[in-house]
Amino acid sequence: MDVKLTINGEEKSASVPPETTLLRLLREEFNLTGAKIGCDVGDCGACTVIVDGIATNSCLMLAGQVQGRSIETIEGLANMDDYHPLQKNFEDLGSLQCGFCGPGIILSAKQLLDDNPDPNKEEIQDALAGNLCRCTGYTKIVEAVADAAREMRGNRKAA
Amino acid sequence: MDENVKTAEREVTLERLREIDDDLRLPAVPEQVSYPIETLIPEARTQTPAVGQRASRPDGRLHGLGQTKYIDDLSFPGMIHAKIKRAGISKARVKNIDVSEAEKMPGVMATLVGSEIPVNSFGPSYQDQPVMVNGTVFHAGDPVAAVAATTEQLALDALDKIKIDYEPLEAVYDPIEAMKDNAPQVHEGESNIYSSKVIQKGDVEQGFEESHRIYENTFSTQMVEHVPMEPHASIADWDGNGRVTLHSSLGRITLGRADIARTLNMPINRIRIIATVVGGNFGGKNEITTEPILALLSKKTGRPVKGVYTREDEFMSSTTRHPFIMDYKTGMSKDGKILARKVRLVCDGGAYCSWSETTLGKACILSAGPYNIENLYVEAYAVYTNKTMTGAMRGFGAPQVCFAYESQMDDMAHDLGIDPLDIRRMNAFHEGSASPTGQVLESVVVRDSLEMAAERFGWQDWKK
Repeated sequence: MDVKLTINGEEKSASVPPETTLLRLLREEFNLTGAKIGCDVGDCGACTVIVDGIATNSCLMLAGQVQGRSIETIEGLANMDDYHPLQKNFEDLGSLQCGFCGPGIILSAKQLLDDNPDPNKEEIQDALAGNLCRCTGYTKIVEAVADAAREMRGNRKAA
Repeated sequence: MDENVKTAEREVTLERLREIDDDLRLPAVPEQVSYPIETLIPEARTQTPAVGQRASRPDGRLHGLGQTKYIDDLSFPGMIHAKIKRAGISKARVKNIDVSEAEKMPGVMATLVGSEIPVNSFGPSYQDQPVMVNGTVFHAGDPVAAVAATTEQLALDALDKIKIDYEPLEAVYDPIEAMKDNAPQVHEGESNIYSSKVIQKGDVEQGFEESHRIYENTFSTQMVEHVPMEPHASIADWDGNGRVTLHSSLGRITLGRADIARTLNMPINRIRIIATVVGGNFGGKNEITTEPILALLSKKTGRPVKGVYTREDEFMSSTTRHPFIMDYKTGMSKDGKILARKVRLVCDGGAYCSWSETTLGKACILSAGPYNIENLYVEAYAVYTNKTMTGAMRGFGAPQVCFAYESQMDDMAHDLGIDPLDIRRMNAFHEGSASPTGQVLESVVVRDSLEMAAERFGWQDWKK
């Protein structure tokens, strides 16, 4: 089947077998390997991408369902000049250890900050409830999201 | 005479080489500065300059950008995919394996069964684990057959076409049952107990006689899976020169290389392992899993072969944390001093040894806790059962015994009417204490740590 969609602002198309998930479409057809295969059944959140503004488990969505829709992946968050405040704060705080859950968590957080520029701790935890991390625990991750939110609101934190 | 001339010549030549070497050096290399050594060695228990400094992870940026390449993110020209058929039965004799239907499927390039593995055993302590089942299944997660196909989906579909006839055998799942004389044997042999250890110090019976009260409790812990976010994954590439390159999520590549050389029965210098960032290890990626299978499938097909565990594979067949059954008998004086302790640890090892021996040793040494106990007797057994094998996982047996001795400590403090903090302070190791195995301990700060922690979280207020 043929799929046409927008990925990180660019129009793309591919021809794939009908059982192909969005996750496999991104990884295998477009070489966007930032979204990871953790459990392949929608439990771990490592495959999270943003579909039309909603953070979604891409392993649970078929390629056929994204016809004409717009996808944001981790690869679209940074460009050659600058990277996203979330990515910067995750790096500064050492929020990611093995890093496998990172792209999914950052995209879940991005949807949160797009919708709510000033989330409290509970709202951040709630937004990340679908993303598992097995290494560091969530403290530094939640702190990094809060710091990024603060930075994006323009109140740059004193170093 | 001649000898002296030769020596002189050699010295001149060496001197000349040094000069050439010096000429080639960059002029900008700074002179070596010798630091005053005494300032570099901090006083004991003082902070070094590194403490309190911020440091960022060197791989942190790539993680955030999604650019870190794990095994499943790599691919090579012509690469095909392998999947493993699991036994699904915990003890059985394999009567027949029929892979012919699977091989006929379009897209399937090769299959592999246990009899094709050159040396079908490996393991860090005892080589009791087969790479693939050859004759007998020891636990439900054992690999029975493998398929390599052009896509992962085709390989998975082909697994369903493999027909296996099993003759079920009597299995044993409870380690206490497995220790009995008439228990079904997991592996052929006299006993399911494959490792035991004893620590003896003082006279434990004498200690119990002198005790005001004796406490006996049994504690048990459950099996725990590591669940790394990244499942086990490898890519094998057997090249035309008879060398195999493995990209693997292995955490201990040197050990893995030796195991792979053993199982493939080839010289170790023909095996190259390229490790990348591991997406979570926690002890679960310390030994080889499917690497020899992938290597042989690559040899059969002449293609690079990628094998990634499904989450089911991960739960069924990778190592786990040992379940322990721990009997604690502790004799206390009236004022809360531990006079004697007798411990029996039974470590449910599952089907294979893996790191059980190491785990057992560590659990044994630590089973008395960080307390001064003059009379101690510890016996520990690692036992085979027909369950998923157990191996290394953060702490090697230490968390299990800690749960037991600290739980008992609380119970005893409660019964004797002593503050749980005081009873620990009273018994804790001090400078110069000897560990259960006789090691004299230095820089002991158990009491200081306990007191500081109690103060920090407001133990006195919390108690009320």
